[in-house]
Amino acid sequence: MNAPASARASAFRVQLLVAMMVLVVAVAGLALLFAQHNVAETVRQDFERRFAGEIAAVREVQAIRHEAQAERCRVLARKPRIHAALEDDARDLLYPSARDELGDLLAPNPVAGDAADRQLFEARFYRFLDVTGAVIRPPDATLAGIMAPAEEQRLALRGQPRSVESGFFARTVANGTEVDEVIAMPVVSTETHEVIASLVLGFRQLPARMNDETAIRTGWWIDGHLLFTGYPEAMREAAEKVVAPLVPEAGQSTDGTVVRIGDDSFLSFCELLNPHSGYPPAYLVGLYPLADAQARQRALLWEFVGAGLLLVLGAYGIVRVLSARLSRPVAELAEDSEQERAQRKQAEHALGQTSAELQRSARFSADASHQLKTPVTVLRAGLEELLADNQLAPEIREELSTLVHQTFRLTNVIEDLLLLSRLDAGRLQLDLVPVNLTHLLDGLRDDLDALPDAKELLIESDLPPDLNILGERRYTSLILQNLLENARKYNLPGGRIRMAAREDEEWCVLTIGNTGRPIDPDAQVHIFERFHRGAAGENIPGHGLGLNLARELARLHGGDLVLRTSDQEWTEFEIRFRLAPHEIPRAAS
Amino acid sequence: MKAAGSRRVPGDLSALRLAPAFVLVALLSGVPRAIFGADIEGQVLLSPNRRMPVVNRRYEIVANEGVLSTSPPLAVVYVEGDWPAPEGPPRAEMAQKDMNFLPALLPVQVGTRVEFPNEDEQYHNIFSFSPAKRFDLGRYRKDEKPVPSVVFDRPGMVVLRCDIHEHMRAIILVLATPHFVVTEPDGRFHLGHVPPGRYVVKAWIDSRTTLQRTVEVSEGGTARVDFR
Repeated sequence: MNAPASARASAFRVQLLVAMMVLVVAVAGLALLFAQHNVAETVRQDFERRFAGEIAAVREVQAIRHEAQAERCRVLARKPRIHAALEDDARDLLYPSARDELGDLLAPNPVAGDAADRQLFEARFYRFLDVTGAVIRPPDATLAGIMAPAEEQRLALRGQPRSVESGFFARTVANGTEVDEVIAMPVVSTETHEVIASLVLGFRQLPARMNDETAIRTGWWIDGHLLFTGYPEAMREAAEKVVAPLVPEAGQSTDGTVVRIGDDSFLSFCELLNPHSGYPPAYLVGLYPLADAQARQRALLWEFVGAGLLLVLGAYGIVRVLSARLSRPVAELAEDSEQERAQRKQAEHALGQTSAELQRSARFSADASHQLKTPVTVLRAGLEELLADNQLAPEIREELSTLVHQTFRLTNVIEDLLLLSRLDAGRLQLDLVPVNLTHLLDGLRDDLDALPDAKELLIESDLPPDLNILGERRYTSLILQNLLENARKYNLPGGRIRMAAREDEEWCVLTIGNTGRPIDPDAQVHIFERFHRGAAGENIPGHGLGLNLARELARLHGGDLVLRTSDQEWTEFEIRFRLAPHEIPRAAS
Repeated sequence: MKAAGSRRVPGDLSALRLAPAFVLVALLSGVPRAIFGADIEGQVLLSPNRRMPVVNRRYEIVANEGVLSTSPPLAVVYVEGDWPAPEGPPRAEMAQKDMNFLPALLPVQVGTRVEFPNEDEQYHNIFSFSPAKRFDLGRYRKDEKPVPSVVFDRPGMVVLRCDIHEHMRAIILVLATPHFVVTEPDGRFHLGHVPPGRYVVKAWIDSRTTLQRTVEVSEGGTARVDFR
């Protein structure tokens, strides 16, 4: 009996544990997912801000450098000697004058390791372009910075620049490639306000930064090649391949595209350096290593996974304890219910047995009664036949007469037993119809009055006229007969019997009381039991079935029979019947 | 002389009609130079829009579409001819004052030494890249002694600039004649002591425009030449 209960209790505990864990894991998972998403988003935004900041810094450096160099050009292009050489027909003095004016500008010998700020403003070369945009060659290249003829030719423009135009050119040097930015500045005549020539200055661009792993890497995209000075050639080549498709159409810039070089990812940007220029487009290319950001994202993810696992583990412990605690009352309940079920089974079993016994005893009573009826009838017939003999002595006749009377009593007992057995077997079905209780009681009272009795009883009745109840006349009469018979039997000589009835909602409450000795309080609870007779009733005829029968029948009528009171002076029974719905026909009429 | 080419046809003969008496005399070329000579006077038609009074020879050189002229407009009228070289170099002066040349237009005879005193508190650096005279005086200050000077030995127009002050501009017209004059702002001019003879008289109006007339002058007479 215990084993299944504990098994079910532990099954319940496991289910509770699983349900709670599912809930905890789901909630914790969602919360962690949400938090991870949020943090990842923050990290991403932070990274993008850094990226944008780096780009802005690179662009700013580029812009400042360009602006500074352009300003330098602008100042030079206004120099009176240069104007004089161009306007006063003294071309031969152009470069010599420029040498004087630009003397401090031109780096005599660019030396590696020069201070960056010096390099920033030191031109590597300069050239003038004539009105058609062709290069005016210096009479002596040392005046204006030595350049290869092809290099010099690249400076030519188609026509004159309208404003400052810049170009970027790569140049092979001993230890790699260098990039020059050339700035073409129109020289506007103060006399004609027309462009009479242009001054082209070439500045060496500083090598791209490479201070640490996370810093942005910049290079130039010039003439279909990526120039990444200061980086290994293998990386430059790899980067060139991935950057090539990103190089946008002239005048456009792109940024934010993720590219992969080898195993590393980079955020890239590509910006046209020289919009609206007569020189070929050149781009500033930036690669921002994502390794750091990705590592941070990965670390973050692992932290969250770890936190999630810890949370789940912790939750498991708590849930285990909780489920054990919560399932304890359930386990107890299960055990209790197990015991109750066992008890119920026992009770049902006992009830079944009792019911069977009852059935058997009812059948026995019925059988016995039937078996007894015939011999009693035969006996009475025999005795009455004997009584018919006129020759009998009066003493014998007296005796026989008493015997006949006894057979009647016997018949009554048998009838009662038969009825009870039918009641017990549940085979008595009443056909309830309206019965006029007033008439019935009046009739019974008349019967009582007619009895030859020495007790000289006073019978009172307080009955409403035409009190109709629901009942089967035969059995209703039997109930009342039994009660009245008792009231008469246990009465005092010269005593009183009172019948009173009243309506109480749907009930008819009838009381039948009598004077007489009280029923012993201990016996009061037993008076409705079968074959019970009051202690004082030894000399009173009866067989102890009347009250039992009356109550059984009253209950069969849907009512009840109780002992209302029993004291020194008065004993009163109360019987309830259902009132017949007499109002309806009355209302109908 | 880039700016010396005349674009106007010298077809105005009114001067000849005005002085028919001088024609015969003037035909005699190679006449020895008279001490007193004759006068030439007249008027050059200058842009009336920009006319304004000139005080103390203060005017400036302006550029208009690449053409240099004075503002207010002034002209230089000179008599061409085969004049002998001056005895002992003549001297002239072009100062720098208040960040300008003074005067800004200076006609000189070939061989003249022009001094360029700096009367400003600032440095000046006078130079010229003009084919007629290239020179560079370098930076110098007020009271620099000797006063920087240049001898202009080729006729032509010389544009002067200051390397420090890019707006400063001056023109020195180096002429192969001792007979020249800067007109008044209304264009009137008077040339005296011109020996009698027939001459080509030119009026330099701007760097691109020089007009010319032929005129005959007789001893003691006054020839009138108008440039319109």
